[in-house]
Amino acid sequence: MDISAVNREGNTILSVNGRIDTLTAPELEQAITTEIGRGNRKILLVFSGVSYISSGGLRVLLSTAKKLKNPGDKFAICSLQPEVLKVFKLAGFTSIFSIYPSEGEALATW
Amino acid sequence: MPPGDGKPDSIEWQPVPGAPGAALYPLIRKIDAISSNSYILTTPDVIILIDPGGLPEQAEHLLRVIGTCRAENNRPLFVFLTHAHTDHFVGIQADPVFTHPDTAVFAVQQAGACALESGDTTVTQSDLMQVPFFPMKVGLHLFSGERHDLCSEDMSFPNGARITITRDKTGPAGLPRERIEFGPGPALTVYHTPGHSPDSICLQIGELLFTGDLLFAASPGIAGLTGWSQETLIYSLGAVEMLIVKEGIQLVFSGHGRVIPATDALRMLRAVRADACGLANIAEMEPDRAARTAAFAGDCMEQVNELFTIMSGRLQYVSFILDELGESGMADQSSALIRGDMIDELLEAFHNFAEEQRHGQDVPIHRVLKAGQVIAKLERTFNRDELSAIINPSLVRRAGRLLSDYTTMLRGFTPPNECSDCDLNALTGAVVTGLTVPPFTDDEVLSSADDDVAFSRILLARIGTPPLLADVEVTVLSEDDPLLVCIDPEHFTDLLTYILEDQVGTGADRIEISARRSDRTAIVTVAGNAPSPGTPQERRTWRFLQGLAERAGGSLTVNEREGMHQFEFTAPAVYQTLLKPEHRVK
Repeated sequence: MDISAVNREGNTILSVNGRIDTLTAPELEQAITTEIGRGNRKILLVFSGVSYISSGGLRVLLSTAKKLKNPGDKFAICSLQPEVLKVFKLAGFTSIFSIYPSEGEALATW
Repeated sequence: MPPGDGKPDSIEWQPVPGAPGAALYPLIRKIDAISSNSYILTTPDVIILIDPGGLPEQAEHLLRVIGTCRAENNRPLFVFLTHAHTDHFVGIQADPVFTHPDTAVFAVQQAGACALESGDTTVTQSDLMQVPFFPMKVGLHLFSGERHDLCSEDMSFPNGARITITRDKTGPAGLPRERIEFGPGPALTVYHTPGHSPDSICLQIGELLFTGDLLFAASPGIAGLTGWSQETLIYSLGAVEMLIVKEGIQLVFSGHGRVIPATDALRMLRAVRADACGLANIAEMEPDRAARTAAFAGDCMEQVNELFTIMSGRLQYVSFILDELGESGMADQSSALIRGDMIDELLEAFHNFAEEQRHGQDVPIHRVLKAGQVIAKLERTFNRDELSAIINPSLVRRAGRLLSDYTTMLRGFTPPNECSDCDLNALTGAVVTGLTVPPFTDDEVLSSADDDVAFSRILLARIGTPPLLADVEVTVLSEDDPLLVCIDPEHFTDLLTYILEDQVGTGADRIEISARRSDRTAIVTVAGNAPSPGTPQERRTWRFLQGLAERAGGSLTVNEREGMHQFEFTAPAVYQTLLKPEHRVK
């Protein structure tokens, strides 16, 4: 799994590529924790390259949602592949954090 | 069976109880279908190698140990096979030290010996495992028809060995046995224990017993291998149980896996025997069935993966919401209902295994057995009743049925035909209603307010089971009412639920369901406006759904029309007028 981070106008955009599984979920958690540690509390995850997410990966996202719930914090995910979107919807995650079709549509609402 | 890592767990010399002067060197591997354990026995008269295994590197290791033994005391070498399946012997075929009759004498039960000498690829499982082998000379045919009971026969071999072999039928429960004396030192007793294969034997020296694959012989995917016999297996299992008791066996050394104390072995033999008793009329596991089962394993594991991830995610969601509500105790209880980490590891292990197969030699039977192992472990972690009380029971029910459908196929059972006459409109209506209405009404929530236990239960279910179709525009149309068909209603319910979930999950907010009669068939069409990415995963899902439609008693086609997916389920129609009055659906 590859994660690249870009900061744009106060927003941190983490683009994730690959499978988020038992081995790689901690990498994602670490990348998010690092950004939050740097004071970046507006985080958008771009999932266009994510083909699979395990329950461990879902746990990382919930944990992030818990950390980023202060006023002014933002946390969203965009560009989900259909298989991953299906897991999010059926697990109920679409009602916890915002899901956007694209990066542009996500940032336009922030 | 999972892939082993090739590293032996136990490789230390140890004395043989009840056989003074004998020593044992066990080479015990992690269980897999590629190579067996190996055992080297030494007495002052002979070196005996039991099951060289299926890997050349294992054979090389054994050869080094045997070389050291010979340097200390040069004795003849015998190689006994507990049976002639490739994973027990093929590793030695590259090495002339083993294959030259002047250096090693092979000893195999008559049926296995003939298979090895003729190059039989069926009895040896060479075809199924896709492991080729060269025909080989077997110097000592055990239980040969030419030997007579109670008559001792002296035999000599090109490697200088001289043995006395005595046959009798006085073993436990009349089990045929041959006692082999290699000299004045401890003798080896061989018992014919068919069932796993016609040539299976157990070997005893002192208080140790080597049982080959007897303890695996009723396992899913192993039972039903060519040459497997339920009747003889049940007999052999009972007889070996008696043998262990009567001969005072202390330790049992299996063809795969750890060393087993005799008391545990007795318990395991009884359990395997009980399993074997339930395996009447199972299908043979030959290459074609292995290929079909492997294809189903792949599709099935995709769905298992998705369902378990969704269920685990749903519990995390419930836990998250409860935490937000300040109910951290309930949140912890909820998230503990599924061992997400363990499930992730199991699913990951199968994914990695399948990827390795895809990039290397794809052996269907390996995939079949690996999926069986993962599914058996998932079954053990899966608490259906508790999960159904919180998350959508349809998810739990379908996950359970998926596991049991695979196990049924793996075991070789013919699934019972559960088709019956039913009203397709009523079934479809029940599925749609079940996915539209919350599990408890608002009145039920209000009336439970004074009862903490009832309120907790209802709260959990309300959070955990939001209606799938609540925010979806669903239209149901039917020209005929009732629309009678002959199908398996449970598999049809699963099929329709999978399709609706797939559509809603991938973004559909409008779904049309229509049912109609067409000549002698009835057709249900489901069309949703989810985008159509046409990914490989989607095609695998469709293949899985088509298999599910067949198990439901019909067939499924998937089309794309005007940007909408269209699933068409076709089943044989039943005409009310042809039914006896008492069978008519009211």
